Amino acid sequence: MTIDRTLDLIARTEARRRARRGFLKAGTGVALAAGSLSLLSGCGGDDDPAPTPTPAPGPSLDADVLNFALQLEYLEAQFYSYAATGAGLSAALLSGTGTAGRVADAGSATGPRQVGFTDPVIAQYAREIAGDEAAHVAFLRQALGGAAVAMPDINISGTSDGAFTAFARRARVIPDTGSFDPYANENNFLLAAFVFEDVGVTAYMGGVPLLTNKTYLEAAAGIHAAEAYHAGLIRTLLYRRGLDTADFLSAAQRVSDLRDELDGEPERDEGIGTATAGNIVPADGNAIAFVRTPEQVLNILYLNRGRSTSGGFFPAGLNGTFKTSADN
Amino acid sequence: MDADSQQLIGVMDRRVDRRNERRDLFRMALGTAVGAGAFAYASAAAAQATVSDADILNFALNLEYLEAQFYAYAFGGAGLPANLQTPGASAPAGGTQGTVRVRAGETGQPRAVAFGTAADERAVQQYAREIAADELAHVTFLRTALGASAVAQPALDISGGQSGAFTAAARAAGLFDAGIPGDVAAAAGLDPAARTFDPYANSNAFLLGAFIFEDVGVTAYKGASPLIGNATFLQAAAGILAVEAYHAAIVRTTLYARGVAVPQLRAATTLISNARDALDGTADLDQGIEPVTVAGQPASNIVPLDASGIAFSRSAAQVLNIVYLNRSAVTMGGFFPAGVNGTIRAAAAN
Repeated sequence: MTIDRTLDLIARTEARRRARRGFLKAGTGVALAAGSLSLLSGCGGDDDPAPTPTPAPGPSLDADVLNFALQLEYLEAQFYSYAATGAGLSAALLSGTGTAGRVADAGSATGPRQVGFTDPVIAQYAREIAGDEAAHVAFLRQALGGAAVAMPDINISGTSDGAFTAFARRARVIPDTGSFDPYANENNFLLAAFVFEDVGVTAYMGGVPLLTNKTYLEAAAGIHAAEAYHAGLIRTLLYRRGLDTADFLSAAQRVSDLRDELDGEPERDEGIGTATAGNIVPADGNAIAFVRTPEQVLNILYLNRGRSTSGGFFPAGLNGTFKTSADN
Repeated sequence: MDADSQQLIGVMDRRVDRRNERRDLFRMALGTAVGAGAFAYASAAAAQATVSDADILNFALNLEYLEAQFYAYAFGGAGLPANLQTPGASAPAGGTQGTVRVRAGETGQPRAVAFGTAADERAVQQYAREIAADELAHVTFLRTALGASAVAQPALDISGGQSGAFTAAARAAGLFDAGIPGDVAAAAGLDPAARTFDPYANSNAFLLGAFIFEDVGVTAYKGASPLIGNATFLQAAAGILAVEAYHAAIVRTTLYARGVAVPQLRAATTLISNARDALDGTADLDQGIEPVTVAGQPASNIVPLDASGIAFSRSAAQVLNIVYLNRSAVTMGGFFPAGVNGTIRAAAAN
């Protein structure tokens, strides 16, 4: 491989992303002090505007943001906990303000349950992530103290009327009449994990700068990193399998496309690429991860691109301040 | 084995035990409440003196120069374009533009990794390509954000020869004292006779070389996050942090999977992790990927986290301890033979 070809390949990878994402024009040379605020909003292109502003920061907003994050963690922790161990979070980790809910179909033979892993290494990954997500729940509850919201109703079922099936049908991963059971086998488990993981990263990305308390901010950045590690783990596994069976690549792309459709403009989601152009890291032309507002995150989790207060994985909606999805 | 290596190995044994205990503890949070005090962790960054956003972004730019050059060479044998190495018109004093050090008489110099054609090899080649592009984009982004204030690329040592920084890192980690069989060592770029580590020798070597950097970047961006005043830069830094974590996960996951057949690859990450921990001070801020036992069941350790499931922070000075390969308050060494450029230059005295 020649030097020129190398640079050309790197340039083409960049060009691919720029074409889709818009790009901060190089050489703009904005002075740091004067131009810093216009940096991202001046990214140019027609599809990479600054993040949609969320409410003005303030001390009470910190709790709102952390409670929003807590409920995403309830969702992830329950999913991984059932998948890895066959049991959900203990009741002591679920109480709080608002309306307490339950996990749909828990205990049912076709509901959330332990995955029959055939590859012991995948089971090891599942156990690791389950532990991490449970720790996030415990941590956020402790940080919030008496302000912590209860776990709302959660649907992580793979039954014919379950939220995963609804998502998979809409993503055209399965036929309109099919069912998608994330607990049926490890391949389904990995794809189901993919549905959530990048969403968590974009959500924390949007939440971190809203926090006024620097200790919370640093902690949230640390959870943000953990979620990105998880997402990188899942995407790496799917990609490696996709080199042997291309269906993994196309399924991931369809999941990504649906997330993009639900959360409105601009396009901010990416699949895992192709056999000759892998894309483990979903990022813009500056190799910066994408942002979603809480409202956009709810579009995905409610499976609704319109303004809504419940649906999908949260059949009774969220507790707390952030509970309405955006009108896309 | 020199005294430093012996000391490192003693430290690392204890740390493996501690890590297992800690990971056990919080993994048992599955189904139980964790103990009080989960939030009472120390903020490594909070104790630092006030620095400007430009100081922090320039510090980050130095790290991105390092990573970008390593991946650019590893993927295809060429470094960054010259126009991405120059200083801005009003770059802060402290350091000058340097080059990637090449020692003509030594093996292990920066070059393209010869990836194979099997799926496992093509996968890693794709990872290298993607990460190279991402790090290049980070350099470009930070240089644009800093504009005239951007520091030049400092002198870099990313060599795996007899006197290269990768070799020095591998020696400090005790990789040549771990009893790795010769064929396994060769398949990971390690030459036990010459005691050299060539990260460009093959795909395993490349992954171990990448492992040396990747988690450090995550801890650096996390440590800087509460220090950044400008909300837009904070958002961007959070986005770069996430991308570095994705990269770290790629490297760790791939090494873990390969470790099923070659457990020495997993063990090597523990040695490297413990070397980083020995350099950056007394706090245990680092973890390899070797499995931990949870209630009799093995779990992977792809994600290095504390008991609250939160990634670690390093101060800028602690990051410099690692990339300078020195636990003292020095201003150069290791991967930065003339030090980093900018106002943040000194490692911590550990």
